[in-house]
Amino acid sequence: MIESIFRFFFKYERLVFEQGRFVFGATRSMWLIVAIAAITGVYVVFTYIQVGTLRGRARGILLAMRIALLLVALFAVLRPMLLLKVAVPQQNFVGVILDDSRSMQVADESGKARGDFVRDAFGRADARILAELGKRFVPRVFRFSSAAERLQTTADLNFQGTATRLGDALDRAREELSGLPVAGLVVVTDGADNAESTIDGPIAGLKAQGMPVFAVGVGKDRLSRDVQLTRVEAPRRVLKGAALIVDVVVSQTGYAGATVPIVVEDEGRTVATQDVHLPGDGESQTVKVRFKIGEVGPRAFRFRIPVQANEEVAQNNQRDVLIDVYNRRERILYVEGEPRPEPKFIRMATDRDDGLAVALLQRTAEATTNAPDKYLRLNVTSPEELLGGFPTTRAELFQYRGIILGSMEAGAFTPDQQRMLEDFVDVRGGGLLALGGDRAFAEGGWAGTPLSNALPIALDPANKTALQPPLELIVKPTRTGQSHPATQIADSEDAATAKWKELPPLYSVNVAPAASLKPGATLLLSGTDQRGRDQVVLAFQRYGRGKTLALPVQDTWLWRMHSKMPVEDMTHHNLWQRLARWLVDGVPERTMVSAAPDRVQKGEPVTLTSDVMDPEYRGVNEGRIAAHVTAPSGKVEDVVMEWTVEQDGEYRARFTPTEDGLYRIAVDGQDKAGAAVERGTMAMRVAPSDAEYFDAAMRTPLLRRIAEETEGRFFRAAETSSLVDAISYSGKGVTVTDERELWDMPIVLLCLMGLMAGEWLFRRTKGLA
Amino acid sequence: MKLSRAKRSLLVGAMAVLAGVGLLAQRGGGAGHFFTGLNSNLPYDGKFTFVRMSYAAGFGGRQGPPWSHDYPVGEAHLMRILTSVSNVRGHLDGSNVLAFDDPEMFKYPLIYLVEPGYWRMSEKDVTSLRSYLLKGGFMIVDDFPSWAWPTFDEQMSRVFPQGKWEDLTIDHPMWHSFFEINALTLPPPYPSLGPEAHYRALFEDNDPKKRMLVVANYQTDISEYWEFSETGYKPVDENNEAYKFGVNQFMFGLTH
Repeated sequence: MIESIFRFFFKYERLVFEQGRFVFGATRSMWLIVAIAAITGVYVVFTYIQVGTLRGRARGILLAMRIALLLVALFAVLRPMLLLKVAVPQQNFVGVILDDSRSMQVADESGKARGDFVRDAFGRADARILAELGKRFVPRVFRFSSAAERLQTTADLNFQGTATRLGDALDRAREELSGLPVAGLVVVTDGADNAESTIDGPIAGLKAQGMPVFAVGVGKDRLSRDVQLTRVEAPRRVLKGAALIVDVVVSQTGYAGATVPIVVEDEGRTVATQDVHLPGDGESQTVKVRFKIGEVGPRAFRFRIPVQANEEVAQNNQRDVLIDVYNRRERILYVEGEPRPEPKFIRMATDRDDGLAVALLQRTAEATTNAPDKYLRLNVTSPEELLGGFPTTRAELFQYRGIILGSMEAGAFTPDQQRMLEDFVDVRGGGLLALGGDRAFAEGGWAGTPLSNALPIALDPANKTALQPPLELIVKPTRTGQSHPATQIADSEDAATAKWKELPPLYSVNVAPAASLKPGATLLLSGTDQRGRDQVVLAFQRYGRGKTLALPVQDTWLWRMHSKMPVEDMTHHNLWQRLARWLVDGVPERTMVSAAPDRVQKGEPVTLTSDVMDPEYRGVNEGRIAAHVTAPSGKVEDVVMEWTVEQDGEYRARFTPTEDGLYRIAVDGQDKAGAAVERGTMAMRVAPSDAEYFDAAMRTPLLRRIAEETEGRFFRAAETSSLVDAISYSGKGVTVTDERELWDMPIVLLCLMGLMAGEWLFRRTKGLA
Repeated sequence: MKLSRAKRSLLVGAMAVLAGVGLLAQRGGGAGHFFTGLNSNLPYDGKFTFVRMSYAAGFGGRQGPPWSHDYPVGEAHLMRILTSVSNVRGHLDGSNVLAFDDPEMFKYPLIYLVEPGYWRMSEKDVTSLRSYLLKGGFMIVDDFPSWAWPTFDEQMSRVFPQGKWEDLTIDHPMWHSFFEINALTLPPPYPSLGPEAHYRALFEDNDPKKRMLVVANYQTDISEYWEFSETGYKPVDENNEAYKFGVNQFMFGLTH
């Protein structure tokens, strides 16, 4: 409507004024015309000055009207025009790039599917826009989704593409049309690009070749009614029996405040349900979903929210996650410096867990002149294990995945053993938990040692003596501790919150105020003493490839034995099983395998990367390493992995899956000397991608950016009436300069008549006419 | 290494004897200087504290109530040896005496009971002891004459009606938990206890592969050796062996 009104008054559409260059086309000497106009103007002024009856304001108004009339006339006389570079019909190509991905099935384009608009406007040679383009240009039509190709017939459009790689499509069209006179590219898409690379490169290429993009955005900027399960953050590999807490990110529009369930299924069997109160429209919310891992092997877990009433996109309500569940007893070395109840009760808890094997090296007597330290070894796997006391080589120590360091002074370790403890975390990637006690932390002389660098609390060397009497601490979880996997003492957050309030106090002989927490560390449990001061009870930090925890209390066993704890209360057991499991969670194997991308479709190449380490976790270079890829059908493909040279122990290979389903990949081989390296495995699921249905709203900012930076224009699907003209007037390709006269615009005549009529009326009111 | 340890134990034992003689000479009867009176228990501080259990016996007698036989010297001597030969951080400045219904008992995962023939428990005691043992506590029963078994068994049957006692053999880890004990032939300190000692244990779920809950030094009185180790009442090697038994049992209870 506005466009029609504009055209009525100004003779041409706004596009012409935007694209055209304004000039005066007067053929006579402009000086002569200006001189005549000036003389006329002077005469007019003189005339009005002579009129005695005119005073001040009236004179001014009449003078202004006359001068305005003169100016309008002068404007018309000077022959104003717009110079337009217009594409010569049929001399220029136009690339038409049609989005053929699954997101075009979303039915939010005026109640119809986005793809329907594409078919209506471009689907046939005589389709609305394509026909119009065909009159002035030579269209070359492409379709794109994960790749772009020429479209032979629009009947080939099926909107089944599983990815949208807009940048690649623009590059493809540009390259194919390179060297031809091109008026522009028309890209018809919702812009829901899910490529891993940015759009910067393709835009730069288009700008360099002077190829404007006219983007036609299809769909709504924001879906009206949609619940989306945006992301699931789950570990890739877990020990059987693990109690997981998984972050699930949910967003929605149109259902704010509703409560919906998140259902977790393990190969079709429901293992957990968690209600979530949906956030405000357009907002995201992270929900912690708890469930226990049961079966062993690569398990496909499905997280889904049931489709809600009138939801516009149903396919984004679920996410599949592959978790490789392994079954073995994770070996932890517990080194205790003095006989006390803590190790006994920790073992009572961890021995009940089939996934843990805690070997205790309990010092029972200290060295004398005639004898070394005396040790009791419990839960060892062989008579030789730890026979010489604490390991003296990295190869021996790094066999464990976790270390619990009890109340044992730093002086009981040689300098190399102290460095080994730090390397255990930093290099090997293990988990180390330091317990409180008389000979622990600063009180045990650990300040200034290599291990103190790794601990999550700063040790003050001035603290040389254990606190007596010990500090009595009321323990409570921090906000992070309430939902952290290491500190889950009950099956639900509410039950755990209630339980924390009931637990009896613990006691500490180590100075670990809240202020000693290092900047990169996270506090999970804090304790308040009788003077109201806060003390660290449990904190952790990542260090190198591993992690360290500090638990500076001496008697967590009170949470089992205390008189107010019932026999059936399993808080202490739960805590230690989860703490120990988390200690070894994510600890790397000697051979690690990963794939990129990790969500793969059949026919898409996959890059396998393997980190191969020796027993001391140093990279194995120049080894003969191979990946054995087993397809779902059982077919095995052996792929040689090449050392990357850039990083010690890193090997790469590529393969392309040809089947949908579960792939198992095993990496093994020999080092340079011919010794076998440890075998590493991973699982990978190959399936059509569902990425298209996520964040499927039209990406107006992206499309605008592409258009504006390439000197094109952005159109919404319902507003494409001037699309063809916009391409014609882009000034690109083979063009002619077209002169559009402006003197005969209706607005000019209206101004002239209006001014004349206005002057006459005014004069009448003043009695001058 | 074994010989050094034995020699060291002997040396420390001798030192204890000498120290004990000196101190006893100052004593003049009654409780020693090292230990506080019966009502002054040490507060919990995380260090190992010897805990002797008291119970209502109905009589006192010349030696005091039955639960107090060998108190306080027996535990004083044992603690001195235990903390000397091992690195157990233990209190030498006193010990605790607790009743079975005292909630404080639960702060000490190892308790010691003597003269079980006179032992009687209330229902509250029974519940408390059951909870204590099931949650992880360990009890050593000593000064156990042969006639006392029916009474002891009756009390323990109230705690664990299905409980089954197993005789420990020499290959049980208890006898190798600190010292290497080669034979269970330490004679009872006096004949009225019985012809020979048997060491009986109660296990979790009656399964010897699971945690031991109670060990009963049946037909012997090991603490008698400890109490009189400085007097020459018994041969030095038997005193030493008794300390080895005691240290091993306490070490086992602390670590298993």
